[in-house]
Amino acid sequence: MAAATAAGLATNVFPFRDARAAPDPVLEAGPVAHGSLPVPLVLDNGSFQARAGWACPGPDPGPEPRLQFRAVCARGRGGARGGAGPQVGNALGSLEPLRWMLRSPFDRNVPVNLELQELLLDYSFQHLGVSSQVTGEGCVDHPIVLTEAVCTPLYSRQMMSELLFECYGIPKVAYGIDSLFSFYHNNPKNMISSGLIISSGYQCTHILPILEGRLDARNCKRINLGGSQAAGYLQRLLQLKYPGHLAAITLSRMEEILHEHSYIAEDYVEELQKWRCPDYYENNVHKMQLPFSSKLLGSTLTSEEKQERRQQQLRRLQELNARRREEKLQLDQERLDRLLYVQELLEDGQMDQFHKALIELNMDSPEELQSYIQKLSAAVEQAKQKILQAEVSLEVDVVDSKPETPDLEQLEPSLEDVENINDFEPLFSEETPEVEKPVATVQPVFNLAAYHQLFVGTERIRAPEIIFQPSLIGEEQAGIAETLQYILDRYPKDVQELLVQNVLLTGGNMMYPGMKVRIEKELLEMRPFQSSFQVQLAANPVLDAWYGARDWALDHLDNEDVWITRKDYEEKGGGYLREHCASNVYVPIRLPKQASRSAEAQASGKGSGASGGGAGEQA
Amino acid sequence: MCVGISMDGVSENKMVPSDFSTGPMEKAAKPLPFKDPNFVHSGHGGAVAGKKNRTWKNLKQILASERALPWQLNDPNYFSIDAPPSFKPAKKYSDVSGLLANYTDPQSKLRFSTIEEFSYIRRLPSDVVTGYLALRKATSIVP
Repeated sequence: MAAATAAGLATNVFPFRDARAAPDPVLEAGPVAHGSLPVPLVLDNGSFQARAGWACPGPDPGPEPRLQFRAVCARGRGGARGGAGPQVGNALGSLEPLRWMLRSPFDRNVPVNLELQELLLDYSFQHLGVSSQVTGEGCVDHPIVLTEAVCTPLYSRQMMSELLFECYGIPKVAYGIDSLFSFYHNNPKNMISSGLIISSGYQCTHILPILEGRLDARNCKRINLGGSQAAGYLQRLLQLKYPGHLAAITLSRMEEILHEHSYIAEDYVEELQKWRCPDYYENNVHKMQLPFSSKLLGSTLTSEEKQERRQQQLRRLQELNARRREEKLQLDQERLDRLLYVQELLEDGQMDQFHKALIELNMDSPEELQSYIQKLSAAVEQAKQKILQAEVSLEVDVVDSKPETPDLEQLEPSLEDVENINDFEPLFSEETPEVEKPVATVQPVFNLAAYHQLFVGTERIRAPEIIFQPSLIGEEQAGIAETLQYILDRYPKDVQELLVQNVLLTGGNMMYPGMKVRIEKELLEMRPFQSSFQVQLAANPVLDAWYGARDWALDHLDNEDVWITRKDYEEKGGGYLREHCASNVYVPIRLPKQASRSAEAQASGKGSGASGGGAGEQA
Repeated sequence: MCVGISMDGVSENKMVPSDFSTGPMEKAAKPLPFKDPNFVHSGHGGAVAGKKNRTWKNLKQILASERALPWQLNDPNYFSIDAPPSFKPAKKYSDVSGLLANYTDPQSKLRFSTIEEFSYIRRLPSDVVTGYLALRKATSIVP
């Protein structure tokens, strides 16, 4: 075995990059953002990353979004020190030391904590150089294109609109769905297209049918699993396999393993069968090398040292017991002598002295005295025997030693003895047989590197598989394949045919090698015999949403119907949405405006169309 | 003139991050030039309750109050687009190695596929066993 592992040791060993994010520079807006019309800001507000940039008109649409940062913030260490407020995104550097203090405005894929959202927006605006453009007092003068969740709750949109219009003074905003923007980007512009989008992000996976260019929101479905659940699953698997490295198995490293070392199996069961074979395992296991840590968790004693310790304990116990027995013997002997003396008093005829002595001893009659004497002398004999035995034998059979016949007055010390013996009993019953065995000198060469390696074998395919089989982590929802079939079955056959001709895979969680092949295989299984389908992976699954939003903004700059202006917000309430080709479906339910803390708030009097005590209670 | 303004803006921008000694400890401590410093979030949960109730609603609470709104039967909303539960029987995989598991350990209820895995399972400490079961959400005592 040592030879085999020596041969395979050098292959497939990968270090962790543990990349730190570089803090973003404060960019100058530059000539790009100056124009006759105010240039729209495009913000892809995602639960994993926020991406922000300008949508500049002109021949050259421009490079990537200027800012990409993790959508988290954390207060600096040491509590709220004066001035050093919460740090956002890339200014945090490495996320691991602050893992427990990271806060995100998102709960699943919906922003719920608007204070943190405000921080993220501040960060974006500041670093894009928005502040250098201020023409008015305290406002951002650019239209904003913002992404939101599919069928986002009205309350959340209301809060977001309030933040944008009242805090930042934005002239107009357009909300859209990130996967639809990606669809817009990946399809030719002049056609009104239909298709099916499978979009898998950090927190959830959506399957969105598009008919005639518009989202068919009634038939969308969302599976609440995404990249973060896969990372959590992988982390728990590795922590349970390597309990000694609990602290070194961090979420950032898990994300690194998922991004670089995982893949989706085309046929999961078949792939598992391949992994059973030891050669395949050896060739394909990825050994992640952890940095060396000098504290080896667990016992640092070798087996010889453990045996030494055990023998020491044995000896100590022996000595203790011998001493106890001798003391007891002495006491008993004295007692016996005294009683015998009292008995002699009786025999000599000194009755009154005898009676006095009896009373001292708490006894009533000479017969009692006699029986007591007999018992005591028997006990003394036994003790003497035991001491002789203990001196003779080298091995103590302490387990077998029964406590001496408990004397009436000496019950407590003997109980103590028993307890002490019982304490050592489990130690002894397990380990006395091992004391006999000679200590095998194992591991002459202790491979320190191998101790610090995590062997990632089947975990490479298990972690990403959860979106196909949520039962792996105990979720009851159906996986992508079954949900896809469920959605397709809700349409007539011709529409189904139309939808599967244009399947788009988008979202960061779709970037595993083998994902496209797997989806094609699933479709092959569920579609009728010899029917055709077309699956396409987005050109850049992570950034396509931003690119699509930018393209959309440039195409719709002049179109007034798609932007929600400040006037709309004030007249129709925060939940108002103007529909367009990449937006949610608007359901005209009126939410009452939330009462703010200041006295001149509009109270629940505005709760017109909306009904229900439930809505009224929000005020 | 626009150079002047942008210069001002830039210098103001550069000054702002260092100017935090004076601001009081409230939300708009550093007056960023592009936002209204007097803005207060109205949704700061239970605003009527005053300063005590500072928490934001989490998603569960938001969805609970959304359910109470007057939706029509076919309207799409956040909870109606949840994927349905699976109808197909789930495949059983080994907790330890991920291979197809044909057997279950009656003592710890862990699934395994080979004999070596079985001996590995039997030697596991109880916290690791509970960890594997929790991963599958199978920790309930009720059989």
